Amino acid sequence: MTAWNDSAGGKRASAILKSRPFLTLAIVAAVWIVASFVSRGFGAYGHLRYLVELGAVIGLVAAGQTFVVIAGGIDLSVAAIVTVSAISLPLLSWQADPTGLVSILAVLVLTTIIGVINGLGVALLRVHPMIMTLAMATFLQGLLIIIAGGSAVTAENPLVHWLGNARPAGIPAGIILWIATSAVVLTVMHATPFGARIFAMGANPLAASLSGVPMTSTTLAVYGISGFTAGLAGVLVLGMNGQGYVGIGDPYLLASIAAVVLGGTSILGGLGTYAGTIPGAILLVTITALITVVNASPGWRSILFGSLILGLLLLSGREQARR
Amino acid sequence: MTTVAPLLAARGVSKAFFGNPVLRGVSIALQPGRVHALLGENGAGKSTLINLLSGALRPDGGEIEVDGRAVPRMTPALARQAGIAVVQQELSLTASLSIAENVGLGAYPKRFGLIDYKELAARAKAACALVGLNEPLSTPVGHLALGRRQMVEIAKALYRKPRVLILDEPTSSLSSTETKILTDLLERLRGEGIAILYISHRLNEVMALCQHVTVLKDGTCTADRSLVGTDATGLVRLMVGRDPGDLFPKWQPFVSTTTAISVRKFSAGLMRDVDLDIRAGEVLGIGGLVGQGQEDLLLGLYGAIPGRTASAVVNGISGLPGGVPKANALGLAYVPADRKREGLHLIHPILTNMMLPAFARLPALKLRSRKTERETGKSLAAQLAIKGDLQRPAQALSGGNQQKVALAKWMPHDPLVLLLNDPTRGVDVETKREIYLMLRTFAAAGKAVVLLSSDTSELVHLCDRVAVVREGRITATLERAALSEEAIVSAAMGAEKQKVAA
Amino acid sequence: MSIVPSAKSTGALYWPVQARRNIGVRSLFLVVLAFLIAYGVLFPGLFAASGFAKFTQSWFPLALVAMAQAILMLTGGISLAIGATVSLGAVIAATTMAGPFGVAGGAAAVALTGLGIGAATGFIVVKLRLPAIVVTLAGSFIIGGAALLILPRPGGAIPAWLSDLLAGDTPAAFVLLVVIVLLWKLYLATPLGLSLYAAGENPVGAYRSGVPVDAARVAAYAISGLLSTGAGLFVAAQTGSGDPVIGTAFTLNSIAAAVLGGIGFLGGQGTMRGALAGSLLLSLMISVMFFLGFTPVAQYVAQGLIIIGAVAIPQFRKV
Repeated sequence: MTAWNDSAGGKRASAILKSRPFLTLAIVAAVWIVASFVSRGFGAYGHLRYLVELGAVIGLVAAGQTFVVIAGGIDLSVAAIVTVSAISLPLLSWQADPTGLVSILAVLVLTTIIGVINGLGVALLRVHPMIMTLAMATFLQGLLIIIAGGSAVTAENPLVHWLGNARPAGIPAGIILWIATSAVVLTVMHATPFGARIFAMGANPLAASLSGVPMTSTTLAVYGISGFTAGLAGVLVLGMNGQGYVGIGDPYLLASIAAVVLGGTSILGGLGTYAGTIPGAILLVTITALITVVNASPGWRSILFGSLILGLLLLSGREQARR
Repeated sequence: MTTVAPLLAARGVSKAFFGNPVLRGVSIALQPGRVHALLGENGAGKSTLINLLSGALRPDGGEIEVDGRAVPRMTPALARQAGIAVVQQELSLTASLSIAENVGLGAYPKRFGLIDYKELAARAKAACALVGLNEPLSTPVGHLALGRRQMVEIAKALYRKPRVLILDEPTSSLSSTETKILTDLLERLRGEGIAILYISHRLNEVMALCQHVTVLKDGTCTADRSLVGTDATGLVRLMVGRDPGDLFPKWQPFVSTTTAISVRKFSAGLMRDVDLDIRAGEVLGIGGLVGQGQEDLLLGLYGAIPGRTASAVVNGISGLPGGVPKANALGLAYVPADRKREGLHLIHPILTNMMLPAFARLPALKLRSRKTERETGKSLAAQLAIKGDLQRPAQALSGGNQQKVALAKWMPHDPLVLLLNDPTRGVDVETKREIYLMLRTFAAAGKAVVLLSSDTSELVHLCDRVAVVREGRITATLERAALSEEAIVSAAMGAEKQKVAA
Repeated sequence: MSIVPSAKSTGALYWPVQARRNIGVRSLFLVVLAFLIAYGVLFPGLFAASGFAKFTQSWFPLALVAMAQAILMLTGGISLAIGATVSLGAVIAATTMAGPFGVAGGAAAVALTGLGIGAATGFIVVKLRLPAIVVTLAGSFIIGGAALLILPRPGGAIPAWLSDLLAGDTPAAFVLLVVIVLLWKLYLATPLGLSLYAAGENPVGAYRSGVPVDAARVAAYAISGLLSTGAGLFVAAQTGSGDPVIGTAFTLNSIAAAVLGGIGFLGGQGTMRGALAGSLLLSLMISVMFFLGFTPVAQYVAQGLIIIGAVAIPQFRKV
C-alpha cells in the first residue's frame, strides 16, 4: 500500500514540478488578461513592457539565488550586494573609460568576490549559509556607509544610463540584458556538467562528494554567481533610477527568494529551474502593479503576496516532505 | 511446547517497500519467560519484523497479536501500553539531555503538571542500576561513549517495566564486561516472566542466552525451533539455508602480476598503521565485526577522509589521492554501503544518477549531449538488467536495482580499482548473484576489487584473499586456501592470532 | 508563580542537570561579563538606577526575540517572520490600548494575536510539513501586511502611564525579563517543554519513545509568536506609538543573537540561557562600540566578523 502510494505520489509530485514553470507562466498570462479587461491601461504594450522591465531586476537577483537554493543553500546578502553595486559604481569612474564599461566590469568583479567570500565561509569554515550571508550583509552595510556616507550618489556612467533607459528596437535594454542572462543561466544550469553538479550537491551533498563532485570549488562558484548577478541587478537598478542610495537593494532579498519559490524550485535544494523563476519574477511585479491598479493598500498588497506564496507552496507540498 | 498464550506474536505478516517484498508470511510468537533469538543475514527482514511488532510499521498482510488477541491497527503508543519496549539499533537518545531525562523520556512522572525530578531520579536510578550505569544521572548523554549510550537505551526500555523486551543487536557496541552485565540481566528478567526477543550476530551469545530461535532468510521464516540440541554450525546452516555454491560464480585461480595499490603504515579514521597490497586482478575481501575501522580503510584510500601514510603507490602514482576527484582520476571508484544516504540522489532520475561521475569529471562548462547520455544510460541499463524508464526518480527502484545503479555509474569510467562497501546489504538473492558475477568478471579483466562485507559467506566464496580488521588493524590476511567462515570469524573475534597461510 | 518553589524543591537531580547545562555556555558568559565590565567602566551610569533601567530597556526587546527564535531553532525550525510579528504586536498595542478595552484588553489582544499567529504558522510547518523558512517568509508578508492594514503609518498611542512604567525610570523591563525567564524555566520543567530538545534533535527516536513531537513543535511556534508580539508591545511603549515596520531589524538580529548564544540550526543544540547571553552580548557590543567611538561602519564590520567568528571557531575546535 505504502509503496504504491509513494511511487504514485512521487510521479505526481514530479509531474507537478515539471509543469510548475508553465503553471506560473499561465497564472501570469491569466492575470494579465483579466487585469487588462478590468483596468484599461493595464494591458497596454507599454505597461506590460514596463512590468517586465521591473521584473528584470528581480529576475537578475533571483538568477543567482536560484543557483544557490538549488545547491542547497540560501543567500541573504543579495540585497546588500545590489546596494554595494549601485553605490560603488558611480564612485568608480575613470577619465580613461569614456563608455563606462571598465567601471561596470570592476564593480561586477567586486560583487563576484563578495559572493566567493560567502562561498569560502560556507565551504571551508562550514558556517551555515544563512549565518554566513547574513553576517556578510551586516558587514556590507558598514562598508556602504564608508562608501556613500549616507547620501545618494548620481551615476554619470553612459553605459549604465543606456542600460536603464535605452530601447533598441523598442525593447528596453534591461529586458535585453535579462534575456541574455537567462539564456546563459539556463544553459549553464541544464546543459553543462557544472549545472548537474549543483543539482547533485543540493539533493544529497554526501553522495555528490563520494561521486567525485568537487564540492569546494562548486560552492565557491555558486555563491560567486549569486554575487555576480546581484551586482548586475545593481547596475541595472542604478541605470533605471539614476541614483544609488543605501537601501536601494532592500526590496530584492525577499523578492528574489519569493521568485525562486514561486517558480517551483525546492527551498531544500536539488530540484528546480530558472525557467520557473523567470515567470515567478514577472508574477511578483504583476501582482504589485495589479494591487496598485485596483488601489489596494500596501497592507493588502503584502498580505496577497504572502498568501499567494503560501498557497502555491501548499499545492506542491508533497514534494517538500522528502527529508 | 508451551500452552500459555504468547505475550506478543505475528501471524503470517508480509511487508513490501516500493513493491519490493521484504517479509513474506512470517510468524513469530514471544512466550513469557523465554529468550527468543531472531537470526538472519543483513537484509533478511529482521528490522522490518521488529518494526511491525512494535507498531512503527503496519503489515501489508497478516496480523499482530497481543496476549492472543489480534490488534488491527498497531501503533507505537498501543505497543507501549501493551508493555512492549524496543531497544533499537539506531539510538533514540537526545544528546543534550541528561541520562535521567533520556531514560524517562516520553513517560515522565508528573507533579502539578511539572516533571517530578525527585521521582524521576529514583526511578531512573533503579533502571540504570540494573544495567550497571553508575555515571551521575545528570550527565548529558552526549558526553557518554557509544557503549554507555547503548546501556542508557536499555535502561530506558527497562524504566517502563516492560512485559516484552525487544533488543536489536544490543551488544554490537558493548565491551565484554557490559555484555556480561546485560546477559546476566536478561537471565534475571526471563526468570521474572518477561518475554525477550534477542537479535545478535554473535552466535556464542545466542547459544548461551536463548532458548528458542526463529531464522529469517530473504524475508521468509526458514526455522522456528528450540535451540536445544543445536550447535553454532547448525545455526549458520539455518541462516545460510542453501548450498552456497550456486550463488557464487565458480572461483578460478589467478596469477597476480601487478600491484594496484600499495600502502605502508596507513592511518585513516579508526585504522592505525596498516600495511596493505591490493593486486590487480583479485577480489580482496575486507572482513571483521561491524565498526572496527573497515569503512575508514576504504574511505581513506578513496581520499574521502584524511589519511596518513609512510608510503603509498596508487596505480603507479606515489602518494595518496587526498581527495575524491583525484582518486577518481587515478582510477579509483567507491560504492558506499548506505545507498540511500551516500550512494544515490533518490529524487533525481535514474539516468542522472548514472551520469553523475561523468558530470563530476567533465570540464565544468562543456555542453552536455543528452543523446550520448541517453545512449550510455541505455547500454548500462541493458548491461545490468535495470528495467524501465530511466527518467523515473531513483527512489522508485527496489533496493537491489538501486545498488545496481550505484555500481553502474562507475562503469563508463573503467575504474582500475573498485572499492565496495557492503554492496549486497539488503539486496535480494538474484541481484546478489548478478553483482557477484560482475565483480568476478571485473577482476578477470585485470582490475582490482576491494570488497568490504559483513556477509562472511560472501567473503569466503567470492574473494581471492580476505584481510580481517579488528580494532583498526589488519589482524589476519587469509589466502584462498585458508578461507573459511570459522577462520574469518575467529580472526575477527581475536580468538587467536591467525596462522596465516602463505 | 506559586508552583515555582515546588519545581525547585525537586531534590537532587534538577539542580545538577541545570548546572551541567551551564558548562556549555561558560565561555560565552565570560565574554558577556567582560563586555559588561567594559560597559560599566565606559559608562558608570550603568550602576545608577536610571542607567540600569535604560540599559535593560534597550536589551529587553532583543532578549525576547532571541528567545522567540531560539525556541524554534531548538525544535529544528526557524522564523523569518519575527520582525513582522514584532511590528504587528506594536501596532495592535498602539491602536487598542487607548480604546474602550483599555490596557488590559490591549495586552490580551496582543497576546492572543501572537499565540494565534504562532500556532497557525506551527500548524502549517508541522502538520502540513512545509519548510519553515519559506512558510515564515510568506508569513512575514502576511503579518507585515496586517500591521500595515491596522496602522498604515506610524501613529496610535500608548497610555502615558504605561510608557512611563515600562520605558521610564523604572526597572520594570528587568523585572519582566526575570519573570519571563522564570516562566520559561517552568515550561521547560513540564514534559511538553522538555520534549523540545528531543523533538528537535532526534524526532524519530522521540516519537518512538512516546514524545508528543508535533504538539511540542506547534507549542514552540505559539510561544515564539507570543514572545514576538510581546516585544512589539514593549517597543510601542518605548516610542509611545505604533509603527508598522518598526520590527524589521529584529528578524536578523534574533537569528544572530541565538547563534551567538550557541543555538544550532539542526535542532536540539543550545540552551535558552545561551540565547539570552547572546542577545545581551549583541546589545552590549552595540553599546560598547558606541561608547568607544567606533563609527557605525566599524560597528557593522565588527558585528559581521563577530557573528562569523562565533559560528566558525567552534567548527575548528571540533576538527
